[in-house]
Amino acid sequence: MRLSSDKIRGFAASSILAGFAASFGAMGIAQASDNKIALIPGGPHPYFAPWEQAAADAQKDFGIAAVDFKVPQEWKLNLQTELVESLAAQGYTAFGIFPGDAVGINSTLTELKDSSIPSAALAGCAQDPTDAAFCLGTDVYNSAYIGTKELIKAMGGKGAIVHLAGLLVDPNTTLRVKAVETAVAETNGEVTLLQTVADTDAQEAADQKINALLAAQKDEIGGMIATGYIPSVVASKSLRTLGDKRIKFIGIDDDQIVLEAIKDGFVSGTMAQNPYGQGYIGAYVLDLIASGSCTVKEDAVWIETPQTKRFIDSGTLVINADNLSTYKDDLKKVTTDIQSNFKDKYLNCQ
Amino acid sequence: MTDETIIKERSRPGFIAGASAQIGLLAIVAVLWLVFSTLAPGFTSPINLFGIGRSLAVDIVIGFSQMVVLATGGMNLAVGSIGVCAVMATGFLLQDAGMPVPIALAGGLLLGAALGWLNGFAIVKTGVNAFIITLASASLFLGAMLILTKAVPYNALPPEIGQFGRMRIGGYVSPLLFIAIAIGVALFILYRHTLLGRQILAAGANPRAAEMSGVPVGRVIIISHTLSGLLAATAGMMLVARLGAAMPSVGGEDWLLPSFLGPVLGGTLLAGGSVAVIGTMIGAALVTTIRSGLLVLQVGNFWLQLFLGLILLAAVMADRYRGIFLERRSMGRK
Repeated sequence: MRLSSDKIRGFAASSILAGFAASFGAMGIAQASDNKIALIPGGPHPYFAPWEQAAADAQKDFGIAAVDFKVPQEWKLNLQTELVESLAAQGYTAFGIFPGDAVGINSTLTELKDSSIPSAALAGCAQDPTDAAFCLGTDVYNSAYIGTKELIKAMGGKGAIVHLAGLLVDPNTTLRVKAVETAVAETNGEVTLLQTVADTDAQEAADQKINALLAAQKDEIGGMIATGYIPSVVASKSLRTLGDKRIKFIGIDDDQIVLEAIKDGFVSGTMAQNPYGQGYIGAYVLDLIASGSCTVKEDAVWIETPQTKRFIDSGTLVINADNLSTYKDDLKKVTTDIQSNFKDKYLNCQ
Repeated sequence: MTDETIIKERSRPGFIAGASAQIGLLAIVAVLWLVFSTLAPGFTSPINLFGIGRSLAVDIVIGFSQMVVLATGGMNLAVGSIGVCAVMATGFLLQDAGMPVPIALAGGLLLGAALGWLNGFAIVKTGVNAFIITLASASLFLGAMLILTKAVPYNALPPEIGQFGRMRIGGYVSPLLFIAIAIGVALFILYRHTLLGRQILAAGANPRAAEMSGVPVGRVIIISHTLSGLLAATAGMMLVARLGAAMPSVGGEDWLLPSFLGPVLGGTLLAGGSVAVIGTMIGAALVTTIRSGLLVLQVGNFWLQLFLGLILLAAVMADRYRGIFLERRSMGRK
């Protein structure tokens, strides 16, 4: 059988393309890193669920040998540090950690550094002085401030609001309380802060406190803002149960219950954080640092927070009825922007 | 009574069963080490050995703090609360009061001993069961600590504290382990070679008989609780060194299970009158080994608790059957 010249040309072209593809493939493998990176939350919590996908995507996209999402069995610092130690013993070369305790984690981070294993604080910061390379998380003050502004807008610029806050001993709660108070103060008395209900970031406490609040003061409340995941979900459920669309509510995070409540008009909006981006970008940067090709830039334009001088905002945006179907794309864009500029802004690379 | 002191007062088969219980437990630990190090080479890596040693040191001392009151037939549910009170007091003395490290550590230990004494005093004077008194004092101590400190950790301690906790002897041994062993030696001597030790065990075995024999039962109960508080505070100090900070989240209820596991697995009787110092150390080693081994084997983290319970149950059952077997064999020889 004779091959026509077109077929021969086609075959040659295919072969060349295949060769190029193989070469690129080989290059890809040659460039793939041998690093094993672990992303470790403080304990089981729905907020961190997107880290699993972020780990898988980062492993694939950046050619990292392994990026694994490992969850301590309970929200206890000693269980987290034991997990970190055991993973380090198994040859993991970098860690992205949500500190189980902002202070208590530092000893472990120092030991990792002493063993030439870099670490970064993701989603929450370790308290300075720390050996975490950086902290990538939500700028909680900014998020609470923007959220309160959105709430005030939804309330028509007047009325009384309630702040459903997280643990009082959490330094982030103090920042959020301050942010809400600042936004309220800027209304010159048109909006008042009726009450700050703290310690609501646990299911039972949130159920009791929020339902008691609504039962007792429903008519006086014009709006509510939640700055913790669980009170956000509980308040969304309670408002739906009450059938109350008069009370405006801004939540936090994108739990399906909150999103459904936005769709049905019981919730005005929610402040999206970027847990996926935190995991994805965290793995990417830790790989660069663990490979030895990059170091953290000392004089980068870091954000300074009460906890650390090396903070990077992982992005926040308001989800409301208008962008309910597109907000994930917006968050992806935020993630891509931070990731693509990270080397230039925060790292010194060879 | 340590297992060795049982020799003097019980029959030979009893001693064999008691001593071999610890040998059996040690054998289980050795088998687990063999299994884990074969299946997961990372288990014997310096970083893991160091971590195991450090966790073990704290678990041993927590176990001792419970063991010394189990000896009297009582219990101390406030070991964790006393531990965290001592931790925060030490943090205050170091950071806010600016005291030198030895004085601050002594202050923390003294507070622990004082809180233990309070427990013992309340138990003896009221005649209420140790379970009730220490259950109440656990909340009382913890609540007072939270009110006084507002749950704010002390994280600007002198750097040598954290450096000591991270120190490695020979590359993988924590100095905290030597402290735990030294405490074990001291307790062994107390129960085996001193009048006080024998009085404590006598009071635990049969308080009425001990009283009639001239043992000041009330006094030895107070002393045992004071010792328990001191040991709980020592475990707290070890955690301060481990973390390089004094945190309100350490101790508390988290210590309750390890405080009982080590002594009970090691052969200390809940009914009192008998202690097993070496057994407590081996019991703590068993728990630490299982926990670390399963982590290194990457057994799903949520399965860890289940496996821990199953393996502990299996270990205790195996040990129990072995004891019965030895007892029967010895009786058959008579």
